[in-house]
Amino acid sequence: MRDAALPSRRHLLGLGIGLGAGLGAGLILPPGLCPARAQAPLPAVPEKDAVIAFGHVGPVTDEGWTWSHDQGMKAVQAAFPQAKTLFVESIPYSADAARTFRQFVSNGANLVFATSNYGDFFSDVAKRSRKVGFLECDGRTTADNLGWYYFAHWYPTYVLGVAAGLMSKTGKLGYVASFPVPSCFSSTNAFLMGARTVKPEATVQVITINSWFDPQAATQAGVALANNGCDFLFGIMDEAGYLQVAQQRGLKAAMWNTDMRRFGPDAYVSSIVVDSRKYYVDQVGRRIAGTWTPGTTLLPMGGGVDRDAWGRTVPEAVAKQADAVREKILGGYTPFVGEIRDSQGKVRVAAGKTMSDLDLYNWDWSIEGVTGLGA
Amino acid sequence: MSWRFQRVPTVPAGAALAGRVGAILAALACVAAVLSLAGLAPARLGAEVIGSAFGSVAGLEDLGLLVTPLILTGIAVALTQRIGLWNIGGEGQFNAGALAATAVGLHAGGDDAWALPLMTLAGAAGGAAWILVPTLARAFAGVSELITTLLLNFVAALLVAWLCTGPWRDPSGRALATTARIPAELPPLGDTLHWGLPAAIAVAILAAGLLAFTRFGYEVRVAGANPGAALYAGIPVRARIVAVMLLSGAVAGLAGTIELAGTVHRLQGGISNNYGYLGIMVAVLARGSCLGVIAGAVLMAALLNAGIVLQTQGVNTSTVLAITGLILLFTAVGDEIVHYRPVRRTRILG
Repeated sequence: MRDAALPSRRHLLGLGIGLGAGLGAGLILPPGLCPARAQAPLPAVPEKDAVIAFGHVGPVTDEGWTWSHDQGMKAVQAAFPQAKTLFVESIPYSADAARTFRQFVSNGANLVFATSNYGDFFSDVAKRSRKVGFLECDGRTTADNLGWYYFAHWYPTYVLGVAAGLMSKTGKLGYVASFPVPSCFSSTNAFLMGARTVKPEATVQVITINSWFDPQAATQAGVALANNGCDFLFGIMDEAGYLQVAQQRGLKAAMWNTDMRRFGPDAYVSSIVVDSRKYYVDQVGRRIAGTWTPGTTLLPMGGGVDRDAWGRTVPEAVAKQADAVREKILGGYTPFVGEIRDSQGKVRVAAGKTMSDLDLYNWDWSIEGVTGLGA
Repeated sequence: MSWRFQRVPTVPAGAALAGRVGAILAALACVAAVLSLAGLAPARLGAEVIGSAFGSVAGLEDLGLLVTPLILTGIAVALTQRIGLWNIGGEGQFNAGALAATAVGLHAGGDDAWALPLMTLAGAAGGAAWILVPTLARAFAGVSELITTLLLNFVAALLVAWLCTGPWRDPSGRALATTARIPAELPPLGDTLHWGLPAAIAVAILAAGLLAFTRFGYEVRVAGANPGAALYAGIPVRARIVAVMLLSGAVAGLAGTIELAGTVHRLQGGISNNYGYLGIMVAVLARGSCLGVIAGAVLMAALLNAGIVLQTQGVNTSTVLAITGLILLFTAVGDEIVHYRPVRRTRILG
């Protein structure tokens, strides 16, 4: 059964992430997974004194993930023109990250966003700076002043999986991944589950490149997957490297983050487009107004993450069939129901059991048919 | 009459220092010019950098955290320099040390008195083990240690990446691409700073003493200056090469251990943070002097810290990298310039 404490997806869409909406953007997890709700919010900050900081994993010019979050910062600047914004790009997953976040604090930041999972490097700084709010994208840790947010990307990914299953001739789907982390497990698994509804023999071959932004490695991985017979490429990269490979080799590709069709107009099928503008404006508004407490937010399909408009070579029938699934999901249907077996053939989700959004967020094993991601 | 420049082999300490200071000032002037061309206010940025790094306890602690691994990886390089070799593999030995310390630390409780000493031993042994093959290849087969130590860096980095996303992955699922948090931690020396800094300084002093005042150190220096002469003098050059390289690896492994137990607390891909490579620059700045490594590490740490401050002020990453490079380039040029003095050439024949 789906978790009764979760509001329906339709309801979430209705909330529209408006500034005044009671529960705020997205999906608030059931109690027990969050810090005590009773805590007092951080005190109000006059807009002219507010300092909002963004720490990015890649360059803001990547035309992908970091670019998209930078649009979020620009939306904050437009909504709160007197507030000061700071950002640092390409922060490594190392002790330098903690240094950068500490520097944000000593620059007077009232609210710090990390647009990727920096784990202890983020939470250790939060622990020492109780008067500053911290929000971590794809985070897993919460505290009185630390929350997280992410995108329920597995739903649109499932929709792209249906399209991939319809368009692939070989049934071999290729995937360029960063690290064996939950984002990649849920992405590859949802993609294959979607594809198998229309092509039961489909498989996903994964290559991990140990980076979110390494155009050269992503391109090499794309070439290797194409050489292995994959005729549909997908991945979770912040740039368009493997799309160009697909374009050259006459294959199809789906992307992440933004509309990247101009890098491979014939290969482009669609993209998992993320849009965190409303979320950022909402959070900053609360921080300024003195109503901010750290939430745990999954932006739903249609409210922060969705498929992009279909590419020009996607047949009408394919688009229609995939969009029917999308409509069904928007109506409250979830495809993530057991029985689901892992790559070793072991049943991990019993027949009839539904994976909750938190299960999907923390998915850390591959389903049968996905190879190369480990575990 | 005309002037020419003559190279002098040794430079008095005062002149060397003046050269350094002059070079850094010249570099900063250059940086200021570029920044103002880019529409930024160099004076305000400079004040911000100095205020952030040196004007607060938190800034000084951050500096200390950065200095700690740099001293040790700098020592690792400086040691091999004295016997005429280059250990380019500090990065790999750092990772191997952190890995070995993790193997111990994951099985120890936070209160176990044996945890930190055993992690330290394991880390040093791990670093030494990682340089073992290049050492034997250098000492007995004449294989260039430059290549072998360098290539093993990539192996170590991939090994760490595999372990912390695979077999050693944090079972709680609360942290991504990393091991569980190691319960044993170095005792704090402030808010974020820990006893790793005094330990690193002590290692630098010990290394300087070893090279300056012991028979072993004398033999190493002679073997570095002239291996042939050392051999004729009855110095076991091969054995000294083996000892120095293993020691160098152990010091780099110790750096990894201290970073793990003091700063990062989890084995993960970014733990080495290029400290192994930066150590090479530190040793070059220190001109192979073990005590000089401390000063070199402070300069390097101040530069890296300044880079982070500048980035929060809207200077982009590439510019920061260019500024760091410029200062190091000027320093290297300044070091050479002080070796030259103008000499008046008098014409003897009409």
